[in-house]
Amino acid sequence: MKHEDRSEPPSEVGARGGFQPSSGIGSPKPRMPTTATRGAPAQKPGAHDPNETDAVDAALAASGDAHAFERLYRRHINRVHSLVRRMMGEEAEEVTQEVLVHAWQKIGTYRGEAAFGTWLHRVAVNLVLSRRAGRRRWRDRFAENDAEAMELPSKSTVHLAGLDFESAIAALPARARQVFVLHDVEGYRHEEIATMLGVTAGTSKSQLHYARMALRETLG
Amino acid sequence: MTHPQSEHWSDYIDGELPLAEARELETHLEVCGECRRLLNELRGVVARAGALEDRPPRADLWPRVSAQIGVSRRRFVFSMPELLAAGIALMLISGGGVAFLLRDEIGAPVAWIRPEPEPVVRTVATGGGYDAAIGQLQRELAKGRGSLDSSTTRVIEEKLALIDQAILDAERAVAADPGSEYLRAHLTRSRLTKLDLLRRATELTRTIS
Repeated sequence: MKHEDRSEPPSEVGARGGFQPSSGIGSPKPRMPTTATRGAPAQKPGAHDPNETDAVDAALAASGDAHAFERLYRRHINRVHSLVRRMMGEEAEEVTQEVLVHAWQKIGTYRGEAAFGTWLHRVAVNLVLSRRAGRRRWRDRFAENDAEAMELPSKSTVHLAGLDFESAIAALPARARQVFVLHDVEGYRHEEIATMLGVTAGTSKSQLHYARMALRETLG
Repeated sequence: MTHPQSEHWSDYIDGELPLAEARELETHLEVCGECRRLLNELRGVVARAGALEDRPPRADLWPRVSAQIGVSRRRFVFSMPELLAAGIALMLISGGGVAFLLRDEIGAPVAWIRPEPEPVVRTVATGGGYDAAIGQLQRELAKGRGSLDSSTTRVIEEKLALIDQAILDAERAVAADPGSEYLRAHLTRSRLTKLDLLRRATELTRTIS
């Protein structure tokens, strides 16, 4: 789990680059928390910046203050659990719990260069992906041919019509679901997703498009 | 009519299509209702993804998390080189620190615990949690100072004086330009650096004693 010791995720996570269509078509604003100061409105003297609040509590938590960590938990639990749930395709509360325990154990590596939420989300993503990789290695011992490749599943394998949007995301094939959540919900870029998943950026794009095409059925 | 590969529409939405190809797609859109519908549907999916609401777990996980993390309070062990390295880092964080080094009274004794000056600017890092943590660490450090040798004590005193000066400089800068995000972030970092140094020094006394 080499990512877990990183004190700061890539600084440009979530930023959109490249051509922006002249017709105004574009992606929604990334939901990933960004660095402590980028894009933040000017604070009035005495106002509490959430990123500063997180930084103080993270420093206190790193010194062993469980109350400070609970405050961080309260502020971030909904986002972290939603991320884990969508990535796993199920409630996965035990995984969310594992993420938070892991964050407590590793919080000393958080140096405050990026927003605490950004760091915490990266911890969650890495843990979800490492669990999946672990399961795959275990399964591979019993199956010579791993059917779960990065190839796109046939379109007939998923039927999402009639499902609400969250349920439809959960019903996507695992890899397409993860790419969709990381890109369209969390705001990671294809290059970052490719690194996390160990695939090419082109594969990430293909999986994303597959997911979007499948999810169209839920919009009716 | 020949339609573009559907995957190109995702690239188009994400702004990842070369300009010339994007223009070709836009030209095609003007005459193809089917592709306009597909594009709108894909845009709808992307918009839905960006508007998803977060929701909490079905049950509060904190009791289970706290049970796992509360069983043992982590202990930090820092070597003297690490502590000295932290001190050197402190010297670099503020131009005010450098100026302080040049003052005549550099060799003057510094009180181990000084009353916290009333901050010029109040931010979250002067809130109750921070102040309480600083006070607690200072009291603990005062109790454990007897376990440190005189040279270590002097290094810590000097570094604390440096960081206090850096904090004061940063507070004055923020007071002069309260709208500056950079200065406010700098002030927060300075205060957190003091917290970190006190934490490390306290851990050192625990380790030795």
